[in-house]
Amino acid sequence: MPVGYFSLILHAHLPFVRHPEYPAFLEEDWLFEAITEVYLPIIFILQNLHEAGVKPRLAMNVSPPLCEMLADELLQSRYTRHLEKLLELAEKELRRTEDEDVEFQDVAGMYVENLTASLDLWNIKYKRNLVNAFRELQEEGVLEIITCGATHGFLPLISTAEARRAQVHVAVNNYRKHFGRNPRGIWLPECAYEQGVEDLLKDAGIEYFISDTHAILYGDPRPRYGVHAPVICPNGTAVFARDVETSQQVWSAEVGYPGNAVYREFYRDIGWDLPLDYLKPYLGSDGARKHLGLKYHRITGRDVPQQNKQPYIPALAREKVAENAAHFIGERIIQAYKLRETFEGHPPLVVSPYDAELFGHWWFEGPQFIDFFFRKLYFDQSEIEAISPGDFLDSGLPIQVQQPTASSWGESGYYKVWLNDKNSWMYPYQHDAEKKMTDLADRYAEPTGLELRILNQMGRELLLAQSSDWAFQIYQGTTVEYSSRRFQSHIHRFDLLATGLETENPDIELLSEIENRDNIFAEIDYRIFRTQ
Amino acid sequence: MSEKDTKGRFSGIELEGEKTFEFVIDEFSPISSMTIIQAEDVPAGPLDPKEIALDPAARDSEVEAGSQVFRQLAAPKLPELSKENRAKLLMQSPNRLYFYWSVKNNPFQTLNRAIGNKTNSYVLVSKLVNLNSGREELNPIDADGSYWFNVDANSEYQAEIGFYAANRTYIRVMFSNKVQTPRKNPSPRAASTAEWAVSANKFAQVLDVAGFSQDAFDVALAGDDWDVSEKATEIAFSHFTGGVEDRTTGIESGEIRFVMLALASGATLESLRWRISPSLFAILQQSSANLNIENALVALQDQFDFDADEIIEEEISPAVFGASLINFPRTLKRMRNLTKINPVSSSDRPICATG
Repeated sequence: MPVGYFSLILHAHLPFVRHPEYPAFLEEDWLFEAITEVYLPIIFILQNLHEAGVKPRLAMNVSPPLCEMLADELLQSRYTRHLEKLLELAEKELRRTEDEDVEFQDVAGMYVENLTASLDLWNIKYKRNLVNAFRELQEEGVLEIITCGATHGFLPLISTAEARRAQVHVAVNNYRKHFGRNPRGIWLPECAYEQGVEDLLKDAGIEYFISDTHAILYGDPRPRYGVHAPVICPNGTAVFARDVETSQQVWSAEVGYPGNAVYREFYRDIGWDLPLDYLKPYLGSDGARKHLGLKYHRITGRDVPQQNKQPYIPALAREKVAENAAHFIGERIIQAYKLRETFEGHPPLVVSPYDAELFGHWWFEGPQFIDFFFRKLYFDQSEIEAISPGDFLDSGLPIQVQQPTASSWGESGYYKVWLNDKNSWMYPYQHDAEKKMTDLADRYAEPTGLELRILNQMGRELLLAQSSDWAFQIYQGTTVEYSSRRFQSHIHRFDLLATGLETENPDIELLSEIENRDNIFAEIDYRIFRTQ
Repeated sequence: MSEKDTKGRFSGIELEGEKTFEFVIDEFSPISSMTIIQAEDVPAGPLDPKEIALDPAARDSEVEAGSQVFRQLAAPKLPELSKENRAKLLMQSPNRLYFYWSVKNNPFQTLNRAIGNKTNSYVLVSKLVNLNSGREELNPIDADGSYWFNVDANSEYQAEIGFYAANRTYIRVMFSNKVQTPRKNPSPRAASTAEWAVSANKFAQVLDVAGFSQDAFDVALAGDDWDVSEKATEIAFSHFTGGVEDRTTGIESGEIRFVMLALASGATLESLRWRISPSLFAILQQSSANLNIENALVALQDQFDFDADEIIEEEISPAVFGASLINFPRTLKRMRNLTKINPVSSSDRPICATG
């Protein structure tokens, strides 16, 4: 038996952004950047580790909206074009840096190499569908893929039991569609929990959920092993809570690894550095500057102004990331011994959940960190064993029964990020739609074909309006206009459809257009919103 | 309970010894205007649809050339909220609740029919009730709106809309759902079975290794005998504020100790305003003359055995990389030796009501 267990959990989620009504749409770049910088590298690394016999083991949430976007032919086609253009730009940069900016030549070469490999992986190995790649990793025993809320709806702020249930059941059905089995666990959207959520999960066949630290530490009774062992709710659903020390080591902007001076600087991008005329073919139709993903500088120092950043040196960064991975493992061993001593021999479990997008997008070297971490874990030590939450449940170790307390993983630990002065206006509209959905689902017991289409689409619109991403971004002050518009659009579409249904005068052209745009969850059945 | 549960028509109800009425307001004309009470924090509200009438990605020419459906969807607008009875209470944090409401029809007309010209003395109010302590907070309101309440942690609340007049019967219109605010520190209760029971000192170590050093300090300070530590806290606070002991009913003793430790470390009362329950803040405001570092330290050390240099200094939670806003716990600048702290239950120092 190892001294301690370690469970890495990656949360891969993006809101559903798909705009077939326009030939290109800026916010679709969120998905494209994440595929290039996060999902492709992580899949590639995990597959290589598996083939090398290193036996990586972790849990990963691939959220339902992300699965739906990754499996969508329109977005696959648009991403292919995006990646081809990016490679074209990288090759153009390789030529340019031969004559000018010679100090960036190596980095330009790195991008050409990486993007060429990415295009091959995308087109040939994964055949443009990364859901299948994730599924394969699960079947190989590398990943334990867990689900999330259907659209990442913040469960405690959803007003009806039926609408909360729909977030969970639609997610589980979608998981079955993509992964061919039932999910064992769920990443509660924003780790937002309140008493009663566990009953929804149990009803959907889910064995465990991920929570924030104080859900367990402030739970009742006191947890004997703190957050370093799961607990089970009185209804039998297990809870795995976030370890703070590992969060800070990786995620903190002050002491976290990603802030090292040799790592790539995120905010210095050629999209802002080079002449507009040169960049024009790679910008949007409005010609506005944006991040293009080719960055030539290292962080250099915390207080160094952007204009004084030094060139990025990949070999230096690679040395540092290997060093950081070794340090992380060393700290886990120290932590495990300390916890074991505190727990009088009981083997501790450290649960480390992170946004997947931290690894590769925000922290460019993050995927390399995962690579080194699992290699060193396998070859260089025996004290720590990487397992998934499901593995821990299967181990048969006894688990304390406890009632967790309401919490989230957001700023201040509760619901402030999603309910505050900036976004509270959203809830009366959302709650009205939730009530209306159940009223109509109850009323239309035997719908005609057209009524069925309308009711199913209303379900999709409600779910999309509930996405916690809109309230989050409105609070944070990023993409406020787009997020407000998206929320208003889904409530508007829901209302148009409901009016057509209730007045028996549906606009079929309108319905078809909305179905075409918001095509998430083809398998949805509106009856999930019925009163039970 | 929701607005759907509002039932009966002027059926008298006895609640907590108070004569109240409740009724459904319907079949009457909408309210024209009433006294507008400005909420403490005015919601920013949705962007004005006129300001973002067209999708930024939709160039004018595209919109003009598009079908009617395209144009309709390119200018999303929120529907008018239907005239309904709504009373929804939402938890934002252990110390803050959000309440929004609307009244379907003019409640004053109904009231007028029932009590005639006595209506004039009544105002429409929201009432928040702490179902644990029975404390109530009334605010005059408009027929629809929203409000932020400052509340106590670990308590159950329900809001309602009703009519209030001084020295007259309160008349309830509708209820909200009930909301439980969470505790914001560890449970005082250890498991009862031997397998999972944990002593205060051991649990303090568990909290400390989890990174919750401030909670660890408090758990060690409070010790295993909850009744004893509650009493000691009450006495210490009473001495500190120079007040009577029973004013802290319903306030968690952990929060009281937190406040005293924070003030002993040099924090100002104002810096604690949004981090503690409003009732505790109100008591402290009334006792502002006594609030200084020395008094806090003396009051605490009189009841709890710890060194002055162990007083808490809070670290600011670090920012994180990327787009997330992740919560980090309250921590101490210096790691404390938790074994140095003598819980009340094992201290030789007698608990003394007079200090």
